[in-house]
Amino acid sequence: MKFLEKIRRYVNISQIAPISRRYFIMNAFDGATTILGIVAGAYVVGITNETRFWVIWSGLGATLAMSLSGFVGAYMTEEAELTRRLNILEKSMLTELKNSVVGKASRFASVWAGIIDGMSPALAAVVCLMPFFLSSSGWLSTDSAVQISMTIALGIMFMLGVFLGKISRRNVLLHGVKMLFVGLIITLIFLALKIT
Amino acid sequence: MIRRLVLDVLKPHNPSVVELSEELSNLEGIEGVNVIIYEIDQKVENVKIIIAGSSISFESIKTKLEEMGATIHSVDEVAAGSRIVEEVRTPQDRHAQM
Repeated sequence: MKFLEKIRRYVNISQIAPISRRYFIMNAFDGATTILGIVAGAYVVGITNETRFWVIWSGLGATLAMSLSGFVGAYMTEEAELTRRLNILEKSMLTELKNSVVGKASRFASVWAGIIDGMSPALAAVVCLMPFFLSSSGWLSTDSAVQISMTIALGIMFMLGVFLGKISRRNVLLHGVKMLFVGLIITLIFLALKIT
Repeated sequence: MIRRLVLDVLKPHNPSVVELSEELSNLEGIEGVNVIIYEIDQKVENVKIIIAGSSISFESIKTKLEEMGATIHSVDEVAAGSRIVEEVRTPQDRHAQM
């Protein structure tokens, strides 16, 4: 059986798809919000060409922490929950399912949830930090990097809202704006701090 | 040489009967599979599996079912040999029904 086909089968059997979708949205949102906070904070204290690396390294540090915490947290939680579910099923079946496709799917699902939970904040955060990478290579000015990075973070939040609206088959724009609202609050707080 | 096999099987809801029948029909010596659900519980379901083929290996079916998380409750019918012999009704059967 092909690798992708196998993954699809395990995802179907363990019914992990809705859970991984939730993990993806929640943690990608966390990733974008964290970087937005770091960039906005750096903007308030007056980021310069010399201090722009602080944003990159703080961002990467936060990304690594979020990813590790996401992977371990989701893996441990899902492993416990899926083992419990498998034990209940084994009691109903009056047989051991550890070596069956059901047991394999259960073990795969906890790793899968961990990967999604760990990858999603990293993905969002790295995309948000991209302007700073370009700025450090001389492609962008630091001010532009700040503006573009914050715009990307807000854009990701909006898109995650749109995705949620699409899943629930409701107003995608409204859901996008709801998610964007959180990002705008953070931005406005820091802009107010900068003005004062 | 088994030609037809009727099994009573207990299985979890997932993998589905569609997947189960596809997997069984891919086994060597099997020409057709019929899976009928006759009882559904909260966690498991009981299915009747009818398998027909030119040379059915009971062991490979048992292994495949276990691999899919299912267990054989009982073997309800086996037809073997170069010709499939159908069940015949006898006066004793009629008597038993009364």
